[in-house]
This record gives sequence, structure tokens and C-alpha cells, in this order.
Amino acid sequence: MKKRGIGMASIFYGTGYGNGFPDVSSAVVEIHDDGSATVLTGAADCGQGSNTVLAQIAAEELGIPIEKITLISADTDCTPDAGTTAATRQTYTSGNAVKLAAAKAKKILLDFAAGVLAVNTIDGLDIKDGYVYVKTFPQKRISVAELASHARFKGNRLIGEASFTTHSTMVDPETGQGAPYYPYAFATQIAEVEVDTETGKVEVIRIVAAHDVGRAINKIAVEGQIQGGVAQGVGWALTEEVELKNGQIQNPSFTEYLIPTALDVPEVTPVIVETYEETGPYGAKGVGEPAMLPTMPAILNAIYNAVGVRITELPATPEKILKALKEKEQKNA
Amino acid sequence: MEMKKLSLTVNGKLIEREVPTNIRLLDFLRDYLHLTGTKEGCGEGECGACTVLLDGKPVNSCLVMAHSAHGREVITIEGIGTPDKLHPIQEAFLEAGAVQCGYCTPGMVLAAYALLKENPNPTREEIKVAISGNLCRCTGYNKIVDAVELAARKEGK
Ligand code: FES
Ligand code: FES
Repeated sequence: MKKRGIGMASIFYGTGYGNGFPDVSSAVVEIHDDGSATVLTGAADCGQGSNTVLAQIAAEELGIPIEKITLISADTDCTPDAGTTAATRQTYTSGNAVKLAAAKAKKILLDFAAGVLAVNTIDGLDIKDGYVYVKTFPQKRISVAELASHARFKGNRLIGEASFTTHSTMVDPETGQGAPYYPYAFATQIAEVEVDTETGKVEVIRIVAAHDVGRAINKIAVEGQIQGGVAQGVGWALTEEVELKNGQIQNPSFTEYLIPTALDVPEVTPVIVETYEETGPYGAKGVGEPAMLPTMPAILNAIYNAVGVRITELPATPEKILKALKEKEQKNA
Repeated sequence: MEMKKLSLTVNGKLIEREVPTNIRLLDFLRDYLHLTGTKEGCGEGECGACTVLLDGKPVNSCLVMAHSAHGREVITIEGIGTPDKLHPIQEAFLEAGAVQCGYCTPGMVLAAYALLKENPNPTREEIKVAISGNLCRCTGYNKIVDAVELAARKEGK
């Protein structure tokens, strides 16, 4: 018989290295004579989209279109250290570093612009769509390209460099108490499954995944991170197991270590819950690791809801489910 | 090492080379023709990263000996669109956000290409079946299926 069930799980997750560990990213931004800008960042984009997100942040801060940003990343010949692409930290930590570096370059340009536009403080100026303008009198404006080339000929260098450290505190080594991370990401996922009581096979029908990511800098990328994380969570819950014997992996191939195929991953509905993280770049936090965490417990809860058995050892293979069903039957007999 | 002449069409061009008899089609494409868009993931027919089209059908080029492609027609990812003029499937992958690390992407695009040739209007289920031999660790497949649907709509126009 096929039985359906629904399960839910919620998590909170500390992003960054945490526990007082140095968690630093650096970046360099230079504005050029043609109104374009170069961003140097050590952040390695493994596909999660940090190149795009960091370029978006630089473009926003500098007030120029993203097409005008050249971003060079993860090149030990020329990019400053931005730590590892790990711990759900690049959007937050490197995003802050890029934003600060861009703001410094921008300030040099605005200091020069203040003289040209005859305003008495750069607080009265901003940049939008590639133009520096007077906030209270927007008709008065000059293009970034024109200003940048003049500024440079006058000996100014429109280069900003910055480092950002994610705050964290070491926990008390005796008690383990403290506040090791900041900021935290939150998520809730709901899974619907169908359990075949004859074969023990679990099919995941659908997953709805709600994630507090702070402000989503790039919605499609955030959705992709959530859907990819859920797929890994499905594998974690149902099929993936590293079999070790005397320290050697016994199943080092895709025939024996089963990751989900397109037929195993359900339709995943991402729900992006946008909060505003005061300390993040434009309010952003991270999403990478949290995306996979609630999936497994949500699926196990859904299995319990469907057939009344608790699986306490991963993965929840058909064999384990059949065994649990049998034990339950015997207990009830 | 025993050498033998291999002649075949790759991306519409006739190629003739003297190559060892014991290399795989994957090695021939990557190491001899430097068509490195075709990836090696597992080398044992499980991941689909090495997918190419052999006489129009998707195959795992890690499982095909180079010489068994003699006289046949191979299309690799380099034969689908150009950097200046992407194929509608490639455009759709970009638009839908179907690429993360990109390692599975060449194989996915070719699997989609073969599917849409045969079935220009596939359902989501048919798309999932068609790409089920191509593993992706990053995207969770949802956006890849979206992309193939979008490509079908683009090509239908
Ligand atoms: S490399 Fe050929 S299927 Fe994995
Ligand atoms: S995008 Fe990374 S494996 Fe598919």
C-alpha cells in the first residue's frame, strides 16, 4: 500500500567561521576613466554565484550599471585574500568587503566632484546610473566617466581597499556557553512523501522551503541555492552513505554512492523570506548550507506521519523502513 | 602502442588522425582535438558529464572507444551555438539560472538538444527522464527542467 505523509523541520544556523576564529575578507575597487570599475576579490565562485552577487554589490555602491563592472576573483596572482568559500560566508563577509572598498573609491570621486559641482559637503552628492548628481538638485550632474578622468589627471587615484571581519566570540571552553556566531540564518521546510509499505521505498512528492536570507541580492541565485541544497538533503535522507572500513571508503563510485537524479528530486518551491540584516551588505545574510539542513528531518517526519515509524539512522533505506514496519507490527500484535 | 587512422565528422568538420587504438572517444575529443567542453566526471558511464551526440543520439563518450566512432558523426558542446550566438537551449539555461558550477552543463545541454529534436514539446516528466542519466550536484535539477521547457517554447516560436 502507498501511504502519504507530511513532515516539517526548522533550523537556525550560525554563518561564518564562528567561535572567535579570524573571519576576514578583503577587496580592492578601482574606478576608471571610462566610468567602469574593476573589483578584485579572493572569493572563489564554485557556482553559487558570488561573482555575480559581488559585482551587483559593487555596481549598487558605485551607482554604475553592472555591465561596467569587471570582477576578477580567486586569482592568487592579483586578488586579495577573501577566506574560503565555506561557512555560508561569501555574500556576507566578502560582500561587506567589496561594499566598503567601493565606498572608499566612491568617496575619493565625490570629494573631487564636490569641488567641480560647487557643493560644500559630499553628503549632498550621490551617484546613480553612472552620473554624480546633487541630491537636492538632481539636474546638476556630471558623468562618472568625465569626473573620473579629470580626477585622475589631477593626480587623484580612485582606488578603495577594505577588509571586513565577521564578528564572532569564542565560547566558554568549560561550559560551551556563549554566542559563537553572527548572523544566524533561519529556515523551515515542509516535505510530502509517499511510502510504499510493500517495498519500503520512499518517494518525495514535494518540498516547500522557506528561508530567511536577509535581503536576497539575486533572487534566481538564492532559489538555485535552495533547490540544490534540498536535492542534497534528499540524498542525505534517503540514499547517501559513505561506507568506511578501516578508514577506506568502500563505495567510491556513483553506482554505489547514490546521489539524487532528476527523477529523485521533487519540485521544490522556494519561499524567500526577506528580512533586513543591519550588518549585512544591503541587508543580506547567507543561504548556502542552511538550504540542505531542514530537508532530512522534514522527510523523516513525513515518513513518520505516513507510516508511523521513526527512522533514527541514516539513510532511510527501504530495508530500514521495512524492518521498522515489521517491528511495529510485532509490537502491536 | 598500436596506431590506426581514425576519420570521423566532429561538429560538421571531417577529421582524420592517426591515433592509438585503445583510447576512448572522450580522450580523442579532449586530448587530441582539445574540445575540452566535454567533461570527465566518473569515467564509468554513471554521470553523463561526458555526453556527446553520436549520429544524433546522446552517448557517454567515456564508454565509447574512439575508433568505434570511425565514419560517424559526433557533435560536442562546441558544435552547439557560438559564444556570440548562443543556441536557444543555451540562452534558456542562462535565463532560467540553470547553471551553477557548470560541470554538468555541456552534457545537460546535449541531452536536452537530443530530446527536443525528437520531442519538441516535452512534458516536465519527459524532460526529467531525458536528463536522468546526467547527474547534477548543484542545482537540484528544477531550474534545468525549467530551462528545457523554456527552450522548447523558444524553439517553437
Ligand atoms: S564521465 Fe562518462 S558518464 Fe561519467
Ligand atoms: S551545475 Fe554543478 S553539477 Fe550541475
